[in-house]
Amino acid sequence: MLEIKNLSMTYPDGTEALKDVSFTVEDGEFLVVIGLSGSGKSTLLRCINRLLDPTSGTILWNGTDATSLGHNQLRPLRREIGMIFQHFNLVKRSSVLTNVLAGRLGYASPLSTLAGQFSAADRKKAAEALERVGLAPQARKRADELSGGQQQRVGIARALMQDPKMILADEPVASLDPVLAHNILGYLEDLNTESGITVLCSLHYLDLVQRYATRVIGLRDGHLVYEGNREDIRSMTDAQFKDIYGQNAERIATGSITGGAPS
Amino acid sequence: MIIPAPITALASFILPGLGQCLNGKFRRGATLFFSFSTALGLFLWRVATTAHREILWSGRFAKTFQLEGGFLIVVGLGLIAVWLLGIWDAWKLAHLNKEGKRQGSPWLFVLVLTLFFSIGWQISEIDLRKLGSEASEAWVPLSKVLWPWEASYDAVTNTTEASTTILADPNGTPPEIVPAQEGQPSITVFPRKGVLSSLDENNDVVPGTLVTVRGKGFFPEEEVQLWWADAMGNEFRPRYESQYVTTLTDSAGAFQVKFAMPYRLIPPSATGPHIHTVMARQIQDTGEIVASEPLKLTINLIIETIFMGMMATFFGIILAIPVSFLAAKNLMSGSRLGISIYYITRTILNIIRSIEPLIWALIAVVWVGLGPFAGIVALTIHSVAALGKLYSEAIEGIDPGPIEAIQATGATKLQTIVYAVIPQMIPPFVSFTIYRWDINVRMSTVIGMVGGGGIGFLLMQYIRLLDYKAAGIAVWFIAVTVSILDYVSARIRERFN
Repeated sequence: MLEIKNLSMTYPDGTEALKDVSFTVEDGEFLVVIGLSGSGKSTLLRCINRLLDPTSGTILWNGTDATSLGHNQLRPLRREIGMIFQHFNLVKRSSVLTNVLAGRLGYASPLSTLAGQFSAADRKKAAEALERVGLAPQARKRADELSGGQQQRVGIARALMQDPKMILADEPVASLDPVLAHNILGYLEDLNTESGITVLCSLHYLDLVQRYATRVIGLRDGHLVYEGNREDIRSMTDAQFKDIYGQNAERIATGSITGGAPS
Repeated sequence: MIIPAPITALASFILPGLGQCLNGKFRRGATLFFSFSTALGLFLWRVATTAHREILWSGRFAKTFQLEGGFLIVVGLGLIAVWLLGIWDAWKLAHLNKEGKRQGSPWLFVLVLTLFFSIGWQISEIDLRKLGSEASEAWVPLSKVLWPWEASYDAVTNTTEASTTILADPNGTPPEIVPAQEGQPSITVFPRKGVLSSLDENNDVVPGTLVTVRGKGFFPEEEVQLWWADAMGNEFRPRYESQYVTTLTDSAGAFQVKFAMPYRLIPPSATGPHIHTVMARQIQDTGEIVASEPLKLTINLIIETIFMGMMATFFGIILAIPVSFLAAKNLMSGSRLGISIYYITRTILNIIRSIEPLIWALIAVVWVGLGPFAGIVALTIHSVAALGKLYSEAIEGIDPGPIEAIQATGATKLQTIVYAVIPQMIPPFVSFTIYRWDINVRMSTVIGMVGGGGIGFLLMQYIRLLDYKAAGIAVWFIAVTVSILDYVSARIRERFN
C-alpha cells in the first residue's frame, strides 16, 4: 500500500510543482493520475521512487517512509517499484536484451554487472519478460531499431525484471498513436489483473482513463483537485473532465490530440 | 513626420547615411555610413602607406597614381559611386515614404559589396594573368611531382676495378708495385712519378706530367672510367682537356689512355711521400633494381608520421577525458565554483585550440628539441584542446532519460554510469577520436616543416634542393596515406553513428 501524506515539492528554481498532496493507493489498484502538462503528474511519480526529493510530506510504501531513506537505502525501495516513461528511456544503442537485463541491476551483484555479467537465472528471466511482451525475436536488435510501441514494450519488460509490486507509468502512451496506446495499456492491465501489480499511471485522454482506470486522481497546478472511483469515472462527463483539464481537453476518439500537449 | 526629399538628399550629400536616417531608416543609414567610412579609411590608409615619403595629400595621391594606379582609380570611383548612390537613395526613400512604401532598393548595398570586393582584389594582389603566363614554369616541377617514380628505384651495378700507385713528386722514389693476381684486371701507369697540374697566378691550369695508363683483363668493348685518389684517399674523377677521362676497352679487354696528372691542392704543411692512387673502373648494369634512397626515406618517415599521429592522439585522449568533464556544462553547473571552473576550462581550451599545431610545434621544438617527439608534443597539446571540447559536448549531449530509468531500477551509481552513461558516450567518443587521429596524421605531414619530425621535414628538404621527383614520392605517399585514413575513419565513424 502506498500512502502519500501532505506531499509538497518545490524545485530549486522556485517552481512549486506539488502542493500538499495526499492520497492512498491500495494494492492491486489501477490508479490513473490526470492533469494538464505542468500540473505535477511527472513530479508526483518521480517523488514516489525518489528520483526527485520532495520538499516536505511523507511517502509510506508498505509502512516504510520513502522520504527518510538515505541514498544507499533506496535500492530495496526502487527495485520493488518499476517505472516506464513517455519517451521509453531505453539506452538506444544497447541491445534490447541489455536494456531488459538492466531492469535487474537492483538485485544483481554490483561487481559482476559492471563487467556486463548477469546470472543464468537473470538471463532466463529476461527471455521470459521479452516473451511476455512479444519481443523475443527482437532481443539482439539495437533498441533504436524498434518502433515506438515495441520500445515501450521493452520498457515494460525492463520494469518486469524488477519483480515489481507497483509500476509507475509516466504518460506511457503519450508518444504513441491510439491503437498502440490501447496495446500498451492492455499489457499494463494484464499485469494489474493477472499478476496483481499495482499500477500508478498518468494519462491524458478521457477515453483511456475510463477504459482502464479503477480509480482516478486529478491534479491541477500541483493541487489534488479530483478523486473518483471506477463508477465516478464511467459517469464522468466531458464537462467534469474539462474542469480538471481546462477548456481545450478533448477525447482521443475525436481524432485531435489537443487535450494538453504531451509533456 | 515626412522630411522633403531634397533635404534628405542634401543630408546624404554631407554625410553618407544621414539622409537615410532622416527617412527613418536608421539601420540602413548606419550600415551605409560605416561601410562608406571603412572603405574611405582603407583607401586613405593605402594611399598614405604607398606614398609614405610624401607629406602633402596631393603628393601622396600623385605618387600612388604612379605606383598603384589601378587601386586608386577603381576604389576612388567606387567610393564616389557609393556616395552618389547614397544621395540618390535618400531622395528615393523620401519619395517612397511619401507614397507609404517602406522597402528601399537593394542596389546601394550591392554597390557597397562590390566596392569592398574590389578593395580586397587590389590589396591581395590578385593577378589572374599570372595563372596563365607562369604556367610553363610550373609544369617542369609539377610533372616530376605528378609522376616521380623514376626516382623511386636505383639500378644495381657491378663494378670491376683495378688500381696502381703513383708518386706526386718528381724527385722521390716511386712506391713498390703490388703484382696483379692472375685472372684479375690490372693496370700500370707510366711514368711512375711526376708533377701534378697546378694553377698559375691567373688561376689558369698548368698541366702536370702526362701519364699513360694501360690496363688489361677488363670486360671487352666497354667503357672504363679513370679515378684518382690523393694521398689522403679522397677519390675524384680526373679531367683532361675539360673531359672526364674515359676510354673503351678493346676486344681483348685491354685499354690505354693518356692524360695529365690532375690538379690537387697540397697543403704546405703536408709531409711524407705523396703517394696517389690511379684507378680504372668498369661499371655494368646488372638489370636488377633496388629501392632508391628517397623511397626508403619516404617509407621510413611515413611510418613515423602515422605513428606520430597515433601517439599524439593517444596522449590527447588520456589528457582530454579528465579535461572534458571539467568543460561539460551539465556536470559543472551545480555550484558557483563548478561553473567558474567550467568557464576557465572552456576559455583555456579555446585559446589553445585557436593556435595552430604548426605554431605549437615551433614552441615544442624549442622545448624538447628537433624530432618527432616535438611534433607529438605539439599535436598532443592541440588534440587535448580539440578533443576536450568535443568530448565535453558529447557529455553535454547525453540523454538524461536512460539515466533516470536505470536509477529507477535500484541500480547503484556505478551501475548507472556503466549502463546508462557509457553506452551513450562511446559512439561520439570513438567517432571524435578517429576523426582526431585522421587530423593528427594529416597535421604531422606538415609539422616536420618546422622541425617536428615526420615526412614534412623530408618533403621540405627535397623541395629546397629542387629534387622534385623525390618530393613527388613524398607527396604521393602523403596523399595515399591521407586518403586511406580518410576512408577508414569515415567508415568507422559511420558504424558508430
